[in-house]
Amino acid sequence: MARREYPNEEGPLEIPCPEGPAYPNEEGPLGEAPGTASLRPEEDGYRIKLDIFEGPLDLLLFLIKKKKIEIQNIPLALITREYLDYLHEREHINLDREAEFLLMAALLIYIKSQILLPREQPIEPDIDPRKERPDRTGDYERVRVVSAVLRDKEEEQSTIWRRTALNAPLPEQDLDLIEVSLFDLAESFFTMMKRKQAAPQKILKTKEISVTDKTKEIVLALQTKGFLDFLEYLDAQETLEEALVAFFCLLELIMARRVRAIQEQLFNTIKVWLRKEPAGEDA
Amino acid sequence: MDHLKNILEALIFISVEPLTLDKMKEVLDDVSEEDILQALFRLGTEMEESPRAIRLVQTGGGWVFMTKSAFDAPVRKLLQIERRKKLSPAALEALSAVAYHQPVTQTDIMAIRGVDSTHSLHTLLENKLIKISGRKDAPGRPLLYKTTEKFLAYFGLNSLEDLPREEELKKILEEGNT
Repeated sequence: MARREYPNEEGPLEIPCPEGPAYPNEEGPLGEAPGTASLRPEEDGYRIKLDIFEGPLDLLLFLIKKKKIEIQNIPLALITREYLDYLHEREHINLDREAEFLLMAALLIYIKSQILLPREQPIEPDIDPRKERPDRTGDYERVRVVSAVLRDKEEEQSTIWRRTALNAPLPEQDLDLIEVSLFDLAESFFTMMKRKQAAPQKILKTKEISVTDKTKEIVLALQTKGFLDFLEYLDAQETLEEALVAFFCLLELIMARRVRAIQEQLFNTIKVWLRKEPAGEDA
Repeated sequence: MDHLKNILEALIFISVEPLTLDKMKEVLDDVSEEDILQALFRLGTEMEESPRAIRLVQTGGGWVFMTKSAFDAPVRKLLQIERRKKLSPAALEALSAVAYHQPVTQTDIMAIRGVDSTHSLHTLLENKLIKISGRKDAPGRPLLYKTTEKFLAYFGLNSLEDLPREEELKKILEEGNT
């Protein structure tokens, strides 16, 4: 995101005078704008024309930030509507310029919404939305340095090894397994969903599936089989709907700590085990 | 005292994840934290000074045995790892931003880096170097990200305190500029 530089308050203000035809379909310059007929909209971009302000949007934004103009007096809805009309009439648009316009317009709308919101306390100067957003180049410089530091550490770490790296297939069930996060579960689920969606489906009649029944089914399967392969199980469901229900049942069971979802580190599949009762720490 | 040191050696040896002080205290319930730390220190120096290939490393909030870097090549051969994959510069930048500003939203990271970071964040999430820690109480309730224990272990950091501080960063920046 390019940051737009605004001139300092003290420095010489080089700002284009509000002038010229505001809309391409308007004929000729207006009386108050002297000698500006040569400024074609193509070169100059869109201009705003209001009773209180005429000129490009960045100038308006600048003046509002400097509190030379009260944003309450700027009808943003009108500006937006006219701008959209203008866009519709154009055959070609300059994407860079219009993107910039959108950014500024969004900023103006944000500022105005913040100003108009009723507040219990008056706006403190340092959270005044009109204030220029803090420049984050400093932050970025820092991030770059940290990246370099981390890169060195990564380099250093890449030559030393710990035992976790040795992941032989495990004969014992509970050793070396990690309990999975919701993120893992969701990822597996979406993999499955994608596969299911791709498969051709012929649905003749919809089956009513209740969470209670499905939960019972899962627990029974766990009791007989010992464990379930999460993906395989969902995959084996007849319909997408049934798979969805099964997924929620599993989530419920995990939340109620009746089962454990475990991922073997080497493989990406998630297995579900019934917790030994009473549900206690068995790791 | 040597006995305590030996017990600790056994405990750390058997642990795959870095063994935390809390866990050690749990096992050695009548030994003070001070004694444990002292024994760990002695164990560490002893191993460091010995010509053996293993050293004690404090990382990821606990202690773990690791091979010394001189043995990188044979270890990798055994593991059949050509070279360790490295994070891309973009992912590393995004990760640094998360590390210093956590918990942080994607928008903030974007504002800091000035480029879209969706892909980088996804990679980091996949590698479990960052995790979702909740939602920000702000319009749109955006997700918040923070670094994980694995992040610490990956870079050999014991805690986030080990990251360079503000002053150190300034110094590095100044050195870089001159």
